[in-house]
Amino acid sequence: MYRVDITADLNDEDETGYVWTFLDEARDPGQIKPGAIVVAGDQDAAAVCEVIDLALAGDGTIVHLRLLPGLVEDYRALVERALAS
Amino acid sequence: VPRPGWRETVLSEETNLVRVPGERIEQRTRLRAEQPLAAATLISRGGADTVDKLRRHAERTERAWALDGVPLLGVSVFAVLDMPLDDLLRRRFASFRTICLPTAGRLAEYQFELLPTGQRPHFTVRLHSTDGPELDRLLAALGAPQANSQYARGKIWREED
Repeated sequence: MYRVDITADLNDEDETGYVWTFLDEARDPGQIKPGAIVVAGDQDAAAVCEVIDLALAGDGTIVHLRLLPGLVEDYRALVERALAS
Repeated sequence: VPRPGWRETVLSEETNLVRVPGERIEQRTRLRAEQPLAAATLISRGGADTVDKLRRHAERTERAWALDGVPLLGVSVFAVLDMPLDDLLRRRFASFRTICLPTAGRLAEYQFELLPTGQRPHFTVRLHSTDGPELDRLLAALGAPQANSQYARGKIWREED
Protein backbone atom coordinates (compact mmCIF):
# COMPACT_ATOMS: atom_id res chain seq x y z
CA MET A 1 0.00 0.00 0.00
CA TYR A 2 1.39 3.39 -0.98
CA ARG A 3 1.14 6.83 0.55
CA VAL A 4 1.24 9.11 -2.44
CA ASP A 5 2.16 12.78 -2.74
CA ILE A 6 -0.58 13.37 -5.27
CA THR A 7 -3.56 11.22 -6.14
CA ALA A 8 -3.90 10.39 -9.81
CA ASP A 9 -5.23 7.79 -12.17
CA LEU A 10 -2.00 6.64 -13.79
CA ASN A 11 -4.05 5.65 -16.84
CA ASP A 12 -4.91 9.30 -17.50
CA GLU A 13 -3.14 11.12 -20.30
CA ASP A 14 -3.97 14.18 -22.34
CA GLU A 15 -2.67 15.55 -25.62
CA THR A 16 0.70 16.29 -24.01
CA GLY A 17 1.29 12.57 -23.53
CA TYR A 18 1.77 13.12 -19.81
CA VAL A 19 -0.29 11.82 -16.91
CA TRP A 20 -2.42 14.58 -15.44
CA THR A 21 -4.33 15.21 -12.23
CA PHE A 22 -5.50 18.14 -10.16
CA LEU A 23 -3.19 20.09 -7.89
CA ASP A 24 -5.78 20.04 -5.10
CA GLU A 25 -5.34 16.25 -4.93
CA ALA A 26 -1.82 16.72 -3.56
CA ARG A 27 -1.14 16.20 0.15
CA ASP A 28 0.95 19.38 0.06
CA PRO A 29 0.23 21.40 -3.07
CA GLY A 30 3.12 23.71 -2.23
CA GLN A 31 5.55 20.89 -3.04
CA ILE A 32 4.15 20.33 -6.51
CA LYS A 33 6.38 22.45 -8.71
CA PRO A 34 7.97 21.84 -12.11
CA GLY A 35 10.98 19.58 -11.71
CA ALA A 36 9.83 18.10 -8.39
CA ILE A 37 10.03 14.32 -8.06
CA VAL A 38 6.86 12.93 -6.46
CA VAL A 39 4.97 9.70 -5.95
CA ALA A 40 1.68 9.78 -7.82
CA GLY A 41 -1.19 7.35 -8.08
CA ASP A 42 -3.20 5.77 -5.34
CA GLN A 43 -2.72 3.24 -2.58
CA ASP A 44 -2.86 0.34 -5.04
CA ALA A 45 -0.78 1.61 -7.96
CA ALA A 46 1.79 4.35 -7.67
CA ALA A 47 4.80 5.54 -9.60
CA VAL A 48 7.65 7.96 -9.20
CA CYS A 49 6.98 10.94 -11.45
CA GLU A 50 8.53 14.24 -12.42
CA VAL A 51 6.27 17.29 -12.28
CA ILE A 52 6.35 18.84 -15.73
CA ASP A 53 4.08 21.85 -15.42
CA LEU A 54 0.87 23.22 -13.98
CA ALA A 55 -1.99 24.67 -16.00
CA LEU A 56 -5.42 26.08 -15.32
CA ALA A 57 -8.28 23.84 -16.38
CA GLY A 58 -11.88 23.59 -15.31
CA ASP A 59 -12.30 24.66 -11.72
CA GLY A 60 -8.69 24.14 -10.71
CA THR A 61 -5.11 23.62 -11.72
CA ILE A 62 -3.96 20.47 -13.45
CA VAL A 63 -0.52 19.00 -12.98
CA HIS A 64 1.31 17.16 -15.76
CA LEU A 65 3.48 14.28 -14.61
CA ARG A 66 6.14 12.29 -16.44
CA LEU A 67 6.15 8.65 -15.39
CA LEU A 68 9.66 7.60 -14.45
CA PRO A 69 10.73 3.98 -14.97
CA GLY A 70 10.75 1.38 -12.25
CA LEU A 71 8.70 0.84 -9.11
CA VAL A 72 8.59 3.05 -6.04
CA GLU A 73 10.32 0.18 -4.22
CA ASP A 74 13.18 0.28 -6.72
CA TYR A 75 13.96 3.87 -5.83
CA ARG A 76 14.11 3.01 -2.14
CA ALA A 77 16.58 0.22 -2.95
CA LEU A 78 18.57 2.59 -5.17
CA VAL A 79 18.89 5.19 -2.42
CA GLU A 80 19.77 2.57 0.17
CA ARG A 81 22.59 1.29 -2.10
CA ALA A 82 23.85 4.80 -2.70
CA LEU A 83 23.91 5.68 1.00
CA ALA A 84 25.27 2.37 2.28
CA SER A 85 28.54 2.85 4.10
CA VAL B 1 0.05 42.84 -16.87
CA PRO B 2 -1.36 39.87 -14.94
CA ARG B 3 -0.20 36.42 -15.96
CA PRO B 4 -2.64 34.25 -17.90
CA GLY B 5 -5.27 32.88 -15.59
CA TRP B 6 -5.24 35.94 -13.35
CA ARG B 7 -6.90 39.31 -13.63
CA GLU B 8 -6.56 42.58 -11.85
CA THR B 9 -9.48 43.75 -9.81
CA VAL B 10 -10.22 46.35 -7.22
CA LEU B 11 -11.58 45.22 -3.88
CA SER B 12 -12.05 47.54 -0.92
CA GLU B 13 -9.86 50.20 -2.47
CA GLU B 14 -6.98 47.74 -2.83
CA THR B 15 -5.76 46.35 -6.12
CA ASN B 16 -5.57 42.59 -6.04
CA LEU B 17 -5.08 39.70 -8.38
CA VAL B 18 -7.85 37.16 -8.29
CA ARG B 19 -7.81 33.72 -9.80
CA VAL B 20 -9.93 33.29 -12.90
CA PRO B 21 -11.13 29.70 -13.17
CA GLY B 22 -9.96 28.12 -16.41
CA GLU B 23 -12.31 26.81 -19.02
CA ARG B 24 -12.79 23.09 -19.27
CA ILE B 25 -10.62 21.78 -22.07
CA GLU B 26 -12.84 21.15 -25.08
CA GLN B 27 -12.03 17.76 -26.51
CA ARG B 28 -14.10 17.81 -29.73
CA THR B 29 -11.49 19.75 -31.65
CA ARG B 30 -8.71 17.63 -30.15
CA LEU B 31 -10.13 14.21 -31.01
CA ARG B 32 -7.85 12.28 -33.34
CA ALA B 33 -9.25 11.64 -36.78
CA GLU B 34 -9.07 7.86 -36.83
CA GLN B 35 -11.14 4.97 -38.03
CA PRO B 36 -13.22 3.28 -35.32
CA LEU B 37 -11.38 0.47 -33.61
CA ALA B 38 -11.89 -3.05 -34.89
CA ALA B 39 -14.04 -5.11 -32.53
CA ALA B 40 -11.15 -7.46 -31.80
CA THR B 41 -8.78 -4.67 -30.72
CA LEU B 42 -7.59 -5.20 -27.17
CA ILE B 43 -8.15 -2.37 -24.71
CA SER B 44 -5.91 -2.00 -21.69
CA ARG B 45 -6.68 -0.33 -18.37
CA GLY B 46 -4.28 -0.65 -15.47
CA GLY B 47 -5.32 -1.54 -11.95
CA ALA B 48 -8.21 -3.17 -10.17
CA ASP B 49 -11.13 -0.79 -10.39
CA THR B 50 -14.14 -0.49 -8.15
CA VAL B 51 -17.27 1.52 -8.69
CA ASP B 52 -15.97 4.16 -6.29
CA LYS B 53 -12.63 4.39 -8.08
CA LEU B 54 -14.26 4.66 -11.47
CA ARG B 55 -16.54 7.39 -10.15
CA ARG B 56 -13.62 9.40 -8.79
CA HIS B 57 -11.68 9.06 -12.03
CA ALA B 58 -14.69 9.95 -14.17
CA GLU B 59 -15.42 12.99 -12.04
CA ARG B 60 -11.79 14.14 -12.34
CA THR B 61 -12.17 14.03 -16.11
CA GLU B 62 -15.44 15.93 -15.82
CA ARG B 63 -13.73 18.70 -13.84
CA ALA B 64 -11.15 19.26 -16.57
CA TRP B 65 -12.66 18.26 -19.89
CA ALA B 66 -15.74 19.08 -21.95
CA LEU B 67 -17.18 17.63 -25.12
CA ASP B 68 -19.33 19.92 -27.27
CA GLY B 69 -19.42 22.37 -24.41
CA VAL B 70 -20.77 19.85 -21.92
CA PRO B 71 -18.68 18.44 -19.07
CA LEU B 72 -17.24 15.10 -20.16
CA LEU B 73 -17.41 12.11 -17.86
CA GLY B 74 -15.00 9.34 -18.74
CA VAL B 75 -12.12 7.11 -17.80
CA SER B 76 -8.86 6.47 -19.61
CA VAL B 77 -7.85 3.34 -21.48
CA PHE B 78 -5.26 2.45 -24.11
CA ALA B 79 -5.82 0.45 -27.27
CA VAL B 80 -3.27 -2.11 -28.31
CA LEU B 81 -2.31 -0.45 -31.59
CA ASP B 82 0.97 -0.11 -33.45
CA MET B 83 2.87 -2.34 -31.00
CA PRO B 84 2.53 -5.74 -29.37
CA LEU B 85 0.60 -5.96 -26.11
CA ASP B 86 3.69 -6.74 -24.05
CA ASP B 87 5.49 -3.66 -25.38
CA LEU B 88 2.56 -1.42 -24.43
CA LEU B 89 2.33 -3.00 -20.99
CA ARG B 90 6.05 -2.63 -20.39
CA ARG B 91 6.20 0.96 -21.63
CA ARG B 92 3.07 2.29 -20.00
CA PHE B 93 1.70 -0.12 -17.39
CA ALA B 94 4.74 -1.47 -15.54
CA SER B 95 3.49 0.11 -12.28
CA PHE B 96 0.26 -1.88 -12.32
CA ARG B 97 0.17 -5.32 -10.77
CA THR B 98 -3.07 -6.07 -12.58
CA ILE B 99 -4.57 -5.09 -15.87
CA CYS B 100 -7.99 -5.30 -17.51
CA LEU B 101 -7.99 -6.36 -21.14
CA PRO B 102 -11.43 -6.25 -22.72
CA THR B 103 -11.86 -5.85 -26.47
CA ALA B 104 -13.27 -2.78 -28.16
CA GLY B 105 -16.17 -4.97 -29.25
CA ARG B 106 -16.96 -5.95 -25.67
CA LEU B 107 -17.08 -2.30 -24.61
CA ALA B 108 -19.39 -1.58 -27.53
CA GLU B 109 -21.63 -4.48 -26.54
CA TYR B 110 -21.94 -2.83 -23.15
CA GLN B 111 -22.86 0.40 -24.98
CA PHE B 112 -19.71 2.36 -24.25
CA GLU B 113 -18.25 4.82 -26.73
CA LEU B 114 -14.48 5.17 -27.09
CA LEU B 115 -13.27 8.69 -27.79
CA PRO B 116 -9.79 9.02 -29.35
CA THR B 117 -8.46 11.55 -26.85
CA GLY B 118 -4.89 12.53 -26.12
CA GLN B 119 -2.12 10.86 -28.05
CA ARG B 120 -2.62 7.57 -29.89
CA PRO B 121 -3.30 4.97 -28.53
CA HIS B 122 -5.07 6.67 -25.58
CA PHE B 123 -8.87 6.67 -25.53
CA THR B 124 -11.55 7.84 -23.13
CA VAL B 125 -14.48 5.57 -22.31
CA ARG B 126 -17.37 7.99 -22.27
CA LEU B 127 -19.87 7.86 -19.45
CA HIS B 128 -23.15 9.71 -19.17
CA SER B 129 -23.56 9.60 -15.43
CA THR B 130 -21.78 8.39 -12.35
CA ASP B 131 -24.85 6.59 -11.12
CA GLY B 132 -24.22 3.11 -9.86
CA PRO B 133 -25.80 1.21 -12.76
CA GLU B 134 -23.60 2.73 -15.46
CA LEU B 135 -20.46 2.25 -13.39
CA ASP B 136 -21.51 -1.31 -12.60
CA ARG B 137 -21.90 -1.87 -16.34
CA LEU B 138 -18.45 -0.42 -17.03
CA LEU B 139 -16.90 -2.60 -14.37
CA ALA B 140 -18.52 -5.63 -15.99
CA ALA B 141 -17.40 -4.53 -19.44
CA LEU B 142 -13.79 -4.16 -18.32
CA GLY B 143 -13.86 -7.71 -17.04
CA ALA B 144 -11.88 -9.29 -14.26
CA PRO B 145 -8.40 -7.87 -13.71
CA GLN B 146 -5.58 -10.23 -14.54
CA ALA B 147 -1.92 -10.33 -13.56
CA ASN B 148 0.17 -7.91 -15.59
CA SER B 149 2.95 -9.92 -17.19
CA GLN B 150 5.04 -6.76 -17.52
CA TYR B 151 4.66 -5.55 -13.94
CA ALA B 152 7.96 -4.22 -12.57
CA ARG B 153 9.65 -4.58 -15.96
CA GLY B 154 11.13 -1.12 -15.63
CA LYS B 155 14.69 -0.02 -16.11
CA ILE B 156 15.85 0.42 -12.53
CA TRP B 157 18.58 -2.08 -11.68
CA ARG B 158 17.63 -4.46 -8.89
CA GLU B 159 19.86 -6.62 -6.71
CA GLU B 160 18.17 -9.78 -7.91
CA ASP B 161 18.66 -8.92 -11.62
